[in-house]
Amino acid sequence: MRIPCPYCGERDAHEFSYLGDATLTRPDPAAADAEQAFHDYVYLRDNPAGAHEEWWYHANGCRQWLRVTRDTRTHAISGAAPARKSGEPA
Amino acid sequence: MSATNRNRLSAGGLIDRNQTRGFSFDGTRHRGYAGDTLASALLANGVRLVGRSFKYHRPRGIFSAGAEEPNALVELRTGARREPNTRATVTELYDGLEATSQNRWPSLALDALSLNRFLAPFLGAGFYYKTFMWPAAFWEKVYEPIIRRAAGLGRAALEEDPDHYEKATAFCDVLVIGAGPAGLMAALTAARSGARVILADEDFLPGGGLNAEAGDVDRQPAPAFAAGIAAELASLPNVRVMTRTSVFGVYDGGTYGALERVSDHLAVPAPFQPRQRLWRIVARRAVLAAGATERPIVFGGNDRPGVMLAGAVGTYVQRHAVLPGRNIALFANNDGAWRDMLAAQAAGAHVETIVDVRAEVAPELIAAAQAKGIRVLKGAQVIATHGRTLRSLEVATASGTERIAADTLAVSGGWSPCVHLTCHHGGKPAWNEDIAAFVPGTCPPGLSVAGAAKGILGLGACLRDGAETGAESARALGFTVPAHEVPEVADAAFALTPFWHVEGSKGAAFVDLQNDVTAKDVGIAHKEGFRSVELLKRYTTLGMATDQGRTSNVTGLAIMASLTGASIPETGTTIFRPPYTPVSMGALAGHHRGKDFRPVRLTPTHEWARAQGAVFIETGAWLRAQYFPRAGEKDWLETVTREVTAVRASVGLIDVSTFGKIDLQGRDVGAFLDRVYINGFAALAVGKARYGVMLREDGLVMDDGTTARLSPEHYVMTTTTANAAKVFQHLEFCLQVLWPELDVALSSISEQWAQIAIAGPRARDVLARVADGDVSNAALPFMGAVEGTVMDGVKARLFRLSFSGELGFEIAVPARHGAALAQALMQAGETFGITPYGIEALGVMRIEKGHVSGSELSGQTTAGDLGFGRMASTKKDYIGRTMAARPGLADPDRPAFVGFRPVDLSRRLRAGAHFLNRGAAPETANDQGYMTSVAYSPHLGHWIGLGLITRGPERLGERVRAYDPVRGEEIEVEICAPGFIDPEGVRLRG
Amino acid sequence: MADHSSHDPLAGLRFDRVPPSGTYGADGEPGVTVTIPETPFIALVVARNGFAESVTGRLGRAFGLEVADRTGAAIGAAATVVGTGPGRFLVLSKTEPDLAGTLRALLGSEAAVSEQDDAYVTFDLAGEKTPDLLAKGALIDIDPRVFLPGDAATTVIAHIGVTLWRVDEATWRLLVARSLEASFTRFLIASGAAFGLRLENGTAGRG
Repeated sequence: MRIPCPYCGERDAHEFSYLGDATLTRPDPAAADAEQAFHDYVYLRDNPAGAHEEWWYHANGCRQWLRVTRDTRTHAISGAAPARKSGEPA
Repeated sequence: MSATNRNRLSAGGLIDRNQTRGFSFDGTRHRGYAGDTLASALLANGVRLVGRSFKYHRPRGIFSAGAEEPNALVELRTGARREPNTRATVTELYDGLEATSQNRWPSLALDALSLNRFLAPFLGAGFYYKTFMWPAAFWEKVYEPIIRRAAGLGRAALEEDPDHYEKATAFCDVLVIGAGPAGLMAALTAARSGARVILADEDFLPGGGLNAEAGDVDRQPAPAFAAGIAAELASLPNVRVMTRTSVFGVYDGGTYGALERVSDHLAVPAPFQPRQRLWRIVARRAVLAAGATERPIVFGGNDRPGVMLAGAVGTYVQRHAVLPGRNIALFANNDGAWRDMLAAQAAGAHVETIVDVRAEVAPELIAAAQAKGIRVLKGAQVIATHGRTLRSLEVATASGTERIAADTLAVSGGWSPCVHLTCHHGGKPAWNEDIAAFVPGTCPPGLSVAGAAKGILGLGACLRDGAETGAESARALGFTVPAHEVPEVADAAFALTPFWHVEGSKGAAFVDLQNDVTAKDVGIAHKEGFRSVELLKRYTTLGMATDQGRTSNVTGLAIMASLTGASIPETGTTIFRPPYTPVSMGALAGHHRGKDFRPVRLTPTHEWARAQGAVFIETGAWLRAQYFPRAGEKDWLETVTREVTAVRASVGLIDVSTFGKIDLQGRDVGAFLDRVYINGFAALAVGKARYGVMLREDGLVMDDGTTARLSPEHYVMTTTTANAAKVFQHLEFCLQVLWPELDVALSSISEQWAQIAIAGPRARDVLARVADGDVSNAALPFMGAVEGTVMDGVKARLFRLSFSGELGFEIAVPARHGAALAQALMQAGETFGITPYGIEALGVMRIEKGHVSGSELSGQTTAGDLGFGRMASTKKDYIGRTMAARPGLADPDRPAFVGFRPVDLSRRLRAGAHFLNRGAAPETANDQGYMTSVAYSPHLGHWIGLGLITRGPERLGERVRAYDPVRGEEIEVEICAPGFIDPEGVRLRG
Repeated sequence: MADHSSHDPLAGLRFDRVPPSGTYGADGEPGVTVTIPETPFIALVVARNGFAESVTGRLGRAFGLEVADRTGAAIGAAATVVGTGPGRFLVLSKTEPDLAGTLRALLGSEAAVSEQDDAYVTFDLAGEKTPDLLAKGALIDIDPRVFLPGDAATTVIAHIGVTLWRVDEATWRLLVARSLEASFTRFLIASGAAFGLRLENGTAGRG
């Protein structure tokens, strides 16, 4: 697979490490339902056949965490965006 | 000894008669020419029997002239370079080539196991599953040895491969796979547009079918036309022509795998050249112009040496100037094969008979054949063959059966496009009625197909289609394609009547020659219900092994279809997966074998440690000093005991540069550390370090280490050696994804700083002689961290930390000074008997002290399990806090961290032993936990251990059994507090 | 010196020691020359939140270079600034002994600066065959018609992390982690032997 890194350009997937679903948000630990919310956040995953947003870390490149959109059926990658803008808060 | 080249035509062919190539087959010496393959050279020398078949050990000859060869597999080379199952048809002849036939004993001509032919009724489809069923005990002792001796073809070399292999990556705009008529034209049009082009072909000579073409192209012989285009391509700076290169796989993102056989055509690779090179080719577009493979007709005795694909006969005659036989007959269902024979006849071959299954054949073909004296039998079928190698055929015609003399039978059942690469992303080929063949279906993104590979049969059409496909590919990338001229070649109509199998023919009729699968086997599979194409393959082994059913898949399907009454497309097709042709393990490994398997990281003091006599051990990517044996020490335990004793009594040093070191700067570092460690860091004072434990979000421990605050907004963190990269990645995730608002900048400083730990009661005395500043207890108290200089001005960071339980310091200096620091410490400590120690002694001391390490940080332990429960802050959130509170992780019955000592102090403890309560049966249900780490404690004079046992801290003093079924040991141990030495920490605070 | 009779350029070399200076592989004019230049002073600059643009500008003005916040090497007499990630720059200088101190003074609280002088070994590769050698380990496009002088990449070569840039037509500079010098040199020798490789690292073998 080749991932279009916004900083480095298109690179072989060997340079990256995979984390998983990028649509999840870390729950509020102070919320009343935090325990259930964290359970879902850590363990429950959709398994879509098609477009999927996922985290990839450019370990052997710019060290950015990228939000990559990949079709799970074809491995076609339609985009990759940094988790945060260069040096700026999101 | 055969007369040399007795079957060689006196002129013609693409061989260089001035360059002879001596070779041997089964010990007999022969001669061929440059431009020969092993197969063409064997045929030229009249060698027709080249191997024995896989299951029945039947005599086999050369069947094809290409990668599809099912029969002519030989052992190539000898000794360490011996390579089994090499296809003679694609083995380029070199001087000194040594080949040996396979699967025969005692000799090729007389093979003992050909007896298997008489066992054939028992060796049919599914015989493995039926025969070797029971008794089960027979498997290991009886069945497997028999199968191993009888099955398989060649023998692999037993010595280490003496050659080296490489990997390489190339990028291009257009990759053209196959340098036949379509591929050459595709490459040319794309190249003239300025696109970067790679043209790859598995052959050593570009041209593909053009090299076996008798006619002219562009007013010159077809091979000359091919050579001209190849030369033009090679001269262009934007083109790389790769011969002897098979593109074997299509991967994601336009990545293609290719194998370049750099030196396979030489006896030994040229100096410093690899044997093979594995290419990763990244192409924006690709054109598959892999051509088509001829397929046979299945009939009784169709495996006899002398039966050969019609196109192969043409190739040997035209390209190699070799007559496969003196008296050739053709058995076909299509016009193309007739033309091959007519051309062969014109080139000097003697074609006597044409047998065609069709009742009607184009009159001009019949006229042309008869004009050359060829006898034509229409509506006829070959029903049997005779001879050790082929001598005659039995042909059934409308008027009866007749016997016809022939030493070579050319067979053609039509052509199957080489769609393999189009399937690598899951695309299914589609059935094309016109040519009775599968053609490409949905292709991988960016891949187009041109020429015969897409089902276009006809030279002129292939040239045009190649040019157009190459142009389209370049245009799609934005290149401007100049007008191009395509040579005109008039294509004759291609007529074919589908025909697969001569029913009622005599003798075994082979569908898959390589796996000895007969038409009858397909029938058995059908009868027994294995009708789907995937089951047919597994049950009969049809389509397996080196040729992957190139010449047999479609025929097998067609026979199954006729049995079920379904159509061929309804019956299905086998999906092809990479690799298209075999790829050696050496090429996949490339440079990375032996000690170069993966990069090795060396510490800054590596050479110094070697000079001290260190024994090294791989820990992850690092090579670290394990221990430093001295003359007279009888084993590692004696050495390690000496090292530990020296540290506890006086002072020792060890390189700890392998720890991960992360520099953190920013306003929010304290707040950030609070969120990633379970314990509080916001209040950490400048000049101090603190031990911290990190969890994963699921509540389990990820790593531990110390973090020091060097200035208000500047911290340095250490991680364990093993988790350095993982922790850095985790921290980046927290900062980039979870909390981008935090002002924290991370930098890895692992490589910048060499770090050496000194430990022992004399550590401060040694440090004082090396450090430029004050290192007294007041200036550098326990857990102190300061920046300063050592060795008269070398920048340094000093940490007062201890892993051993002794007074300890860690001194970091820029890496280039690491070895000098070690030497300076040795010199400064000489009067104290300073002792370098390795990671074994380090491990012993941490076990004596009761510190957790890798064995306890197993990814399955919680902070509570490891005794860090009280360290965890309740005043803040941190990664893993919520999940660590889950009932399963907070369960008080969980195995928890304690120490162990043997009740009989003379006994040795074993890591991995499981704990059982006294009287409990050794069953999983009674498992109380396990021993994580053990060591012989020089301090106590007996073995000690650390481990996890249910409610451990509540059970101090209790005796349990340490049960080790792996070693067959069981000993009684007493649970004790972890911390066998100085539990109050007097030493390290001294 | 390599044992030529075996055609293994690594024959007789310890895997855990930096191979010594010498000529490896094919005879004749070496296709690639590898030198380990006198280690320049190196520092890593990481812009703190919100200061990437300002830091980029300051670096450019201070060293008289056109620095942009992108992958690339701005090469000048006083310093070379190589982008390795958004808001991250490796700064190299032959003339600034306290490079990190200078940068801290220049950038104040806008960036985190760390000394990296000892973190890397610098390899200069020159010679016609350099791109062919690099292609045996790199997964990026280093075709000299595509990867131009001033282009840079942080990537992986033979499983080893590398920051590289093309200094000029003939020269490519690579920064490799110090601990991996021996492994990386072995890769260069194994992959460059076919072209003939001259190694000048000023050592008779070190580790």
